[in-house]
Amino acid sequence: MKKLFSLISLLMIAAMILSACATPEVKEVIKTIEVEKKVVETVEVEKKVIETVEVQKEVPAERAVVRLSGWASSPEETALLQGLLLDFTAANPDIVVKYEPITGDYWQQLKTSIASGVEPDVFYMDIFQYPAFAKDDVLLPMDDLMAREGMKRDDFIPSLIDAFSTDGKTYGIPKDFNTLGLFYNKALFEKAGLKEPTDDWTWDDLKAAAEKLSDPANNIYGLGVPADAGRFPIFVFQNGGMVMSDDFSDTTLDTPAVAEAAQFYTDFRKNKIGAIPADLGEGWQGTLFGKGQLAMVYEGGWLIPYLTKQFPDTQYGVVLPPAGPKGEGNLIFTVSYSISKNTKNPEAAMRVVNFLTNEASQMKVLESGFALPTRISLKDSDYLKSNAASSAIFRGALDGAKPFMWGLVGSDVNDQMGKALERVYLENQAVDAALKQAAEVIRQKLAEAK
Amino acid sequence: MATTALAQTDRHKAARRRKWREALTAYGFLAPYLFIFLTFTVFAIGYAFYLSFTRYNLLKPPEFWGLEGYRRVLCLEALLPRAADAGPLVCDDLFIRKALPNTILYTVIVVPAQTILSLILAFAMDQNLRFRRLFRTIFYLPSVTSSVVISIIFIWLFSPQGVVNQIFGLNINWLNDKNYAFYTIMLLNVFTTSGTMMLILLAGLQDIPVAIYEAAAMDGANKLQSLWHITIPMLRPVIFFVVTVGVIGCFQVFDQIYVMTAGGPLDSTTTVAYLIYKWAFRDTAVKMGQASALAFVLALIIMAVTMIQRKFIEGSGSVSS
Repeated sequence: MKKLFSLISLLMIAAMILSACATPEVKEVIKTIEVEKKVVETVEVEKKVIETVEVQKEVPAERAVVRLSGWASSPEETALLQGLLLDFTAANPDIVVKYEPITGDYWQQLKTSIASGVEPDVFYMDIFQYPAFAKDDVLLPMDDLMAREGMKRDDFIPSLIDAFSTDGKTYGIPKDFNTLGLFYNKALFEKAGLKEPTDDWTWDDLKAAAEKLSDPANNIYGLGVPADAGRFPIFVFQNGGMVMSDDFSDTTLDTPAVAEAAQFYTDFRKNKIGAIPADLGEGWQGTLFGKGQLAMVYEGGWLIPYLTKQFPDTQYGVVLPPAGPKGEGNLIFTVSYSISKNTKNPEAAMRVVNFLTNEASQMKVLESGFALPTRISLKDSDYLKSNAASSAIFRGALDGAKPFMWGLVGSDVNDQMGKALERVYLENQAVDAALKQAAEVIRQKLAEAK
Repeated sequence: MATTALAQTDRHKAARRRKWREALTAYGFLAPYLFIFLTFTVFAIGYAFYLSFTRYNLLKPPEFWGLEGYRRVLCLEALLPRAADAGPLVCDDLFIRKALPNTILYTVIVVPAQTILSLILAFAMDQNLRFRRLFRTIFYLPSVTSSVVISIIFIWLFSPQGVVNQIFGLNINWLNDKNYAFYTIMLLNVFTTSGTMMLILLAGLQDIPVAIYEAAAMDGANKLQSLWHITIPMLRPVIFFVVTVGVIGCFQVFDQIYVMTAGGPLDSTTTVAYLIYKWAFRDTAVKMGQASALAFVLALIIMAVTMIQRKFIEGSGSVSS
């Protein structure tokens, strides 16, 4: 009896261990079945496709598997991508795309999967993270594959595709982008008796309007000026300054052009015609704009669906950021589809990327309102013509815009820029001293990263 | 004679076989746990130890560089006077300048506060109060709630227009002011952990034999005297346990900081555990090796502090735990 019992327990343990090892394969099978199921589902709507699918099943040709990963920012966006992938599967029955969204910390998971050699074939690549990936040679140069697919660099907005290029090679096809626009609250402008902003505004107009719009007694301020490295640099660019040197080997935060921009930026709060979100008890200025506590904010296209959902009654407009003494300046936030250098199916992966970034797919993304298309040909699309807000954000990439990217130690540059502004705001440190301190720490980080 | 000897060896053999079978069964039952323990604890710690001697950014294979990672973590040259025109430091002084002092400050304030508060609560719950069970449940509730949820509730309570400011008529930006942010998080931690500690202390209190108190009362000891001379000494092992767990928890504080302040404002809430996370995952230039080195430095600190505590609290001749 005892013998039998111990034998059974041993067997059970063996089964557990074995099954633990076998799970990935089981999962894979389930996943492919899922994809096929979905195809059949669409099939019911379109009879034409049914036949092709069935033919495909009779001839079980070897199908290339392409794993695709990205972060999942909203259920709607995920559904949109899955819809596009479904279209792709219908058009390319010889390729199986396995969509594996990463929830939680995307970069942590992507980097650890690269470290253990199990990264997806195609994945999202943010421009901010791109330098480290490009430097350590984990991305596949795409130029030859692009030629095969009939894709041209010129099809894409130059500032975007250039951002994902290193040493003349393309390492990512931009999937969408955002820039900053000046969002303004129409009701508050009307109340203050001001004319609404235009694309031709300058710093002086911005300051004059902020003065009139502010009403500190009622917790209303003219402009949001957060200690945020994702907002402040546009003032630097508009003042002819730079954050980093051209080759990202040094920082230029301690130059006069940056100091002037920082002075102008931080003076809004000093003169009580601007505020940081924390002053008004929020983490993000978008919420305060929706509530009508900030009359103007610099934000990207992501604010549009947020306002529609959370603050449908707030009437607002969007214009290009007002020009500074040295002209236009903007930040580009962009994400590409990049291919892993270790992919077994580079051609299939490229075909997926091509499909997801082609004009038809990008038109669908644009119409959904989630993101802006990266193809230059969509500049004159009807959607942008009839949506002034999106159009302003789109045009932001065309003149004087630089990618939101500070090289290898980007997160440190961001931290230090934010901290320099915080020290000015919270500790009354002089602007010059704050920036000099930031530059010193960044140089230390650059020396460490060497 | 011969037959009995044979029977005896047979019996021996059977006994040995049974023993062997029993051991096999035992290991069989242990195997799943051992498998998990060896892969996810022993192997992981061993690998981290190896990584602490390498430069590793996850994208490239680790590259051995000896003690350089430890040197960069400790960054002792940041404490020395430096010439104004000296080149940039090649090490990260965040640990020595911010994370370590912050963590020590945090432990020094939180551990006594939570121990004293939970002692008071335990004494109160040990009396014959009405609704004693209800109170126990209420005091224990914060400990069973997810720390992330409580952190988010605290963000609301302590926002500039939040309940705390409204009630006390203050205008403090608790979590965005470097003079207050860290203390707000300390308050949160005292609030969430004292429930569990109360429970442990309460169990300890109820373990003290009533006879000792009775004997003391016969000899004319008053309540305060019996508290000081009986309860506290008898509770020593339990207090040691509570303080040790508290110190370890404080040295490793992470989730509240991750949720509430992300180490800011101006690094005023950056602790050692948060710094490890920042280096290992949050920075664009990942410093996995350096982060592993810091993890071992932290482990050494915790070990040292725990040993010192043992000396102080357990003392000589006390009840061994």
